[in-house]
Amino acid sequence: MTASVPVTPRFDPAPDPTRDRRARWAVIRAIVAKDLIAVRRAKAVVIPMLAVPVLLMVVLPFGVGLAARAQDGGADLSRILDSMPGDMADPILSLPEHEQLVVLVNGYLLAPLFLIVPLMVSAVLAADAFAGEKERKTLESLLHLPIPDRDLFVAKLLTALLPALAVSWVGFAAFCVVANGVAWPVMHRVFVPTPLWLVMIFWVGPAVAMLGLAVMVRVSARTRTAQEANQLGGAVILPLIFLSVGQASGILLVTLPVALAIGAAIWLLALVLVRGGLERFTRDRLAARV
Amino acid sequence: MPVAIEAVDLTRSFRSGVALDGLTLSVDRGEVLALLGPNGAGKTTTVRLLNGILQPDRGRASVLGIDPAVDGDAVRRRTGVLTEHAGLDERLTARENLELTARMRGIDRVAAARRTTELLERFGMADRADVPVQGASTGQRKRVALARALLHDPEVLFLDEPTSGLDPAATRDVIELIGSLADEHGRTVVLCTHFLGEAGRLADRMAVLHRGVLHAFGRPEDIAAELWDGLDARLDVGGPLGDDAARALREVPGVMALAPLPEGAMVRVADREVLPRLVRVLVELGVPVYGADARPPSLEDVYFAVEARIAATERAEASPAPAVPTSAGEVAS
Repeated sequence: MTASVPVTPRFDPAPDPTRDRRARWAVIRAIVAKDLIAVRRAKAVVIPMLAVPVLLMVVLPFGVGLAARAQDGGADLSRILDSMPGDMADPILSLPEHEQLVVLVNGYLLAPLFLIVPLMVSAVLAADAFAGEKERKTLESLLHLPIPDRDLFVAKLLTALLPALAVSWVGFAAFCVVANGVAWPVMHRVFVPTPLWLVMIFWVGPAVAMLGLAVMVRVSARTRTAQEANQLGGAVILPLIFLSVGQASGILLVTLPVALAIGAAIWLLALVLVRGGLERFTRDRLAARV
Repeated sequence: MPVAIEAVDLTRSFRSGVALDGLTLSVDRGEVLALLGPNGAGKTTTVRLLNGILQPDRGRASVLGIDPAVDGDAVRRRTGVLTEHAGLDERLTARENLELTARMRGIDRVAAARRTTELLERFGMADRADVPVQGASTGQRKRVALARALLHDPEVLFLDEPTSGLDPAATRDVIELIGSLADEHGRTVVLCTHFLGEAGRLADRMAVLHRGVLHAFGRPEDIAAELWDGLDARLDVGGPLGDDAARALREVPGVMALAPLPEGAMVRVADREVLPRLVRVLVELGVPVYGADARPPSLEDVYFAVEARIAATERAEASPAPAVPTSAGEVAS
């Protein structure tokens, strides 16, 4: 190290980001970039975060497609379809028998996974948002930066939301390619996505993810480790997952406006929670727990 | 000299108790203040309050004329902090840690990259700039963290244990750097440290905290004058002082205490005019005198004297028996 002082020539002082919206977003982007680089290099986070979606969104539909192709004259789905509500079973029963397995599984039963994946990814990352920083002893340095509390909270939300959406949307694209491709000899047509699928992926899924992470970021700010945040947050996230599993297939059976309305209701609830989190989020509370 | 930092009755409690109780002090611009005290004394809480990341329960503070409780971001734009733990993201490289912090401070991408390169070179980290911090030594991390605190050329620096984990050469460099930041560039430095030697070299004034309470604040010599009368001096007679000589010295008017040393004695005298008299007495006794140096109280002497006074007060409060007053002689010997 040289003993010379690294303050000459006088460095241009940093602009006041609170006065410039673009500058504030640049700061938020920098926080998100830092966190995402760190996440990308944490194999323990990345591998499960990608492996589960690949399994659920690629391997599973591929297997179902292969199974459908192997069925000669269609699978016997009568017991499953009989146990389903009439509204759900009717559209499938109206299809030729050899198409029923593919449409039932890839067209309806896998739908919940597309709500679970963004919820799961965002929850894992959100748990790390503040608790992980505390664990790594990096939170205090972050708090000593001139970043408004609100921007810090928004940056941490985005750090969890953006990868969740990316995984979900890329996974969905892969699902569509795999599901249609492998089932082409059976279906002879593109059967996903339907408009309702698109509503679920691009409207309801992000809303559910936002709902989960609004809870998890708040939990993360109050706990000391990411593991603790996961355990505490899980108590809230798990019912959401069960609810998603229960309702997702149903979303594909309602009309488009109803699906949009369901998504809007979830968004509203999520945004209320985010707003509440923003209002309660202060540096002081965080620093008092460092 | 204009005041850079001012705290008046600054108080903060947590669930575990009072972390800081009625802190009142001020730091001038360009001054180095040593904030001293054992673990849990309230040093970190003080820094957090002054930099606006904690809100006080009572009292107020001003940093560069801004109240950190009201506009913490405005304060933080002009201050730099080195936390006790380097606080670097281990998964990022040194360059990424610095560049991204610069961008989080609102510095544009190009300037951030330029400044990062400049600082990494000046802190001798250019060769490790693109390696994840994970494998770096404590000293290397500390250098990167110090570089990060200087990214935006802050007017006030809060440095928590800046030399812990550094090797002797790097320690010397950091001490010189801090000294030059204050002396040549007029930066104000609040230095929290357990290394009293470096604090003594750098600090203009010292503040001693103990369990959240400020027990001493000022220049070491001023605090020393409050703690004990007189002046310490070292008498070098080339070997242990004989009993006769020691007795003769004690009888000299103005000698308050005497403690033997391998090469002579440490004496506490009323003022420096007593020293020639001591030399004369020794010469008359045929004792060779190689040196008689007045020794101003060091920051270390003062710190331990303050700690001794605190301990005595606590003992007195804990015990119903009357406390034994601490004398100047106790301090000297």
